[in-house]
Amino acid sequence: MTLLIGATTIGLILALLALGVYLSYRIFNFPDITADGSITLGAAVASILLVHHWSPMAATLIGFLAGAAAGMLTGLLHTKFKINALLSGILVMTALYSVNLHVMGKSNIPLLNESTLANQAESLAGSFLGGGKSEFLLAGWTVGSRDAAMLVGATLMVLAVGLALYLFFRTNLGTAMRATGDNSQMICALGVSVDFIIILGLALSNGLIALSGALLAQYQGFVDVQMGIGMVVWGLASVIIGEALVGTNKIGLLITGAVMGSVLFRLLVAIALRWGLNPNDLKLITAVFVFAALVMPAVLRKLRPAAKPTAT
Amino acid sequence: MLELHNLIKTFNPGTPNEVRALRGVTLTLERGSFLIIIGTNGSGKSTLLNAVAGTFLVDSGRIRLADQDITRQPEHRRARLIGRVFQNPFSGTAPSMSIAENLALAARRGQPRGLGWALNHKLRQQIRDRIRSLNMGLEDRIDNAIGSLSGGQRQALTLLMASWLKPDLLLLDEHTAALDPKSADQVIRLTHEIIQRDKLTTLMVTHSMQQAVHLGDRIVMMHRGQVLHDLRGAERERVRPEDLLNRFDAVRRREQLDAGVAELLRQNYI
Ligand SMILES: Nc1ncnc2c1ncn2[C@@H]1O[C@H](COP(=O)(O)OP(=O)(O)OP(=O)(O)O)[C@@H](O)[C@H]1O
Ligand SMILES: [Mg+2]
Repeated sequence: MTLLIGATTIGLILALLALGVYLSYRIFNFPDITADGSITLGAAVASILLVHHWSPMAATLIGFLAGAAAGMLTGLLHTKFKINALLSGILVMTALYSVNLHVMGKSNIPLLNESTLANQAESLAGSFLGGGKSEFLLAGWTVGSRDAAMLVGATLMVLAVGLALYLFFRTNLGTAMRATGDNSQMICALGVSVDFIIILGLALSNGLIALSGALLAQYQGFVDVQMGIGMVVWGLASVIIGEALVGTNKIGLLITGAVMGSVLFRLLVAIALRWGLNPNDLKLITAVFVFAALVMPAVLRKLRPAAKPTAT
Repeated sequence: MLELHNLIKTFNPGTPNEVRALRGVTLTLERGSFLIIIGTNGSGKSTLLNAVAGTFLVDSGRIRLADQDITRQPEHRRARLIGRVFQNPFSGTAPSMSIAENLALAARRGQPRGLGWALNHKLRQQIRDRIRSLNMGLEDRIDNAIGSLSGGQRQALTLLMASWLKPDLLLLDEHTAALDPKSADQVIRLTHEIIQRDKLTTLMVTHSMQQAVHLGDRIVMMHRGQVLHDLRGAERERVRPEDLLNRFDAVRRREQLDAGVAELLRQNYI
């Protein structure tokens, strides 16, 4: 049970990453690798502020803003200097590796003694349950109150962000952003600067990704400069699973799908690890999974005509 | 209203692919006039419209629209003055967004876009009313993705979008060329209605001599990046489709003559 709750919580926190990747990759069709650097940036900035006794809320928010700045930079490289989308992301991601080391001062910062959002949620849950009990019974299961607090906190966070994103996509600015990815020629003819929208969109996307990193660091109690490696692919896998789950192009469902995809993927990984999957193989398997999900539709289309005669 | 002064545009200058698409186009359009542009393939008609819309900046020359010099303005800044329908029905709408959302985007053409709701009850009602006037039965489908509609329906909606906020200039680039004859007729009728009703200043490119003589109040024929003929007033009134075709033939004959002369020169001197 603890394992499942833990996996779900991490899945929810990484759902913010999935939403960020969804924004850049699906809305703009922009393969933005900045994510690998900006998730660590968000974690690093929030952590160093926590170490300096900033309030967890402020530290997390500034983590978000740092990610947004990184995304803005990628957008500027792409739109103003006409650098290919992939390369713009790679440049910023590479630069961020050094930036992150500078921010952190060393390659790993523990947060065990700091006041974090995680600790705050835990103490809130403790006073809520009364008497500071460390576990309670739920439908016959023993549940740690820390785990439950994390889960509830992460759920609320994702609900709030998902709802905000959904509402944003129905505003004038948000619909313009969706249209930019859909048909940039048209939205330009309607008076929207495509460059501006791409920069704004990448800022929002990487802000969400950094927010995910800031929360993850507080949940797991440390930040590591390597934690971002492969995160884009991870987010992409969540988005793809989510699309398969909801199977429409309605924006609200796609947001829900990305969140569900992230949680489901994390649960699958947790179970696979429990069954003895070597953790070192995780990224390889994730990459293979995304590869399969990307080519599968085309392969299925090719197979179908050939498969028909044998089926009848 | 619209003043084009000596517009010059060369694509890929200094390379083997160099194309002198506009070679000094000068044209003045009064407010409310409806100009039809015809011309051979590659004569620069689309390039001229793109230059006015700001798809690219011209190499030299001046563009004035509604008493402003817009020569150096980027496309999205000019959009507050210009409504546009493209040749390709896929170009004018965002396919995965709903009909209502597309029209809502057009209802703020050239205006700042903030965090207000894109759609509200009043706007939805207006959208439904205007779409009903198209008589295409789309008024009950305004929440469907626009990508599910036919080319003719999309062009009609794009026309509605381009004219939702009355533009100072309407640009139509062969906007019925990709449609079947029936849809094309429908869209042309709608074009005529909207331009008449709002007295829109219009530049329209077409390959159809029928459209050229039946619509508009002035015809310009382009050739090799220049204005070759400019028919207006009484001359425009008298013109028939055959006359226009004759002018095309004349251009073609002269072209062949030119080619023949060039060949002669080449044989004699090289
Ligand atoms: N973006 C571009 N880059 C390079 N060459 C271009 C570009 N746009 C147009 N051209 C060239 O400029 C010339 C004029 O093209 P344009 O599209 O304006 O012709 P048109 O009169 O619209 O022809 P059509 O009747 O075929 O639409 C052509 O030779 C074309 O190949
Ligand atoms: Mg053309």
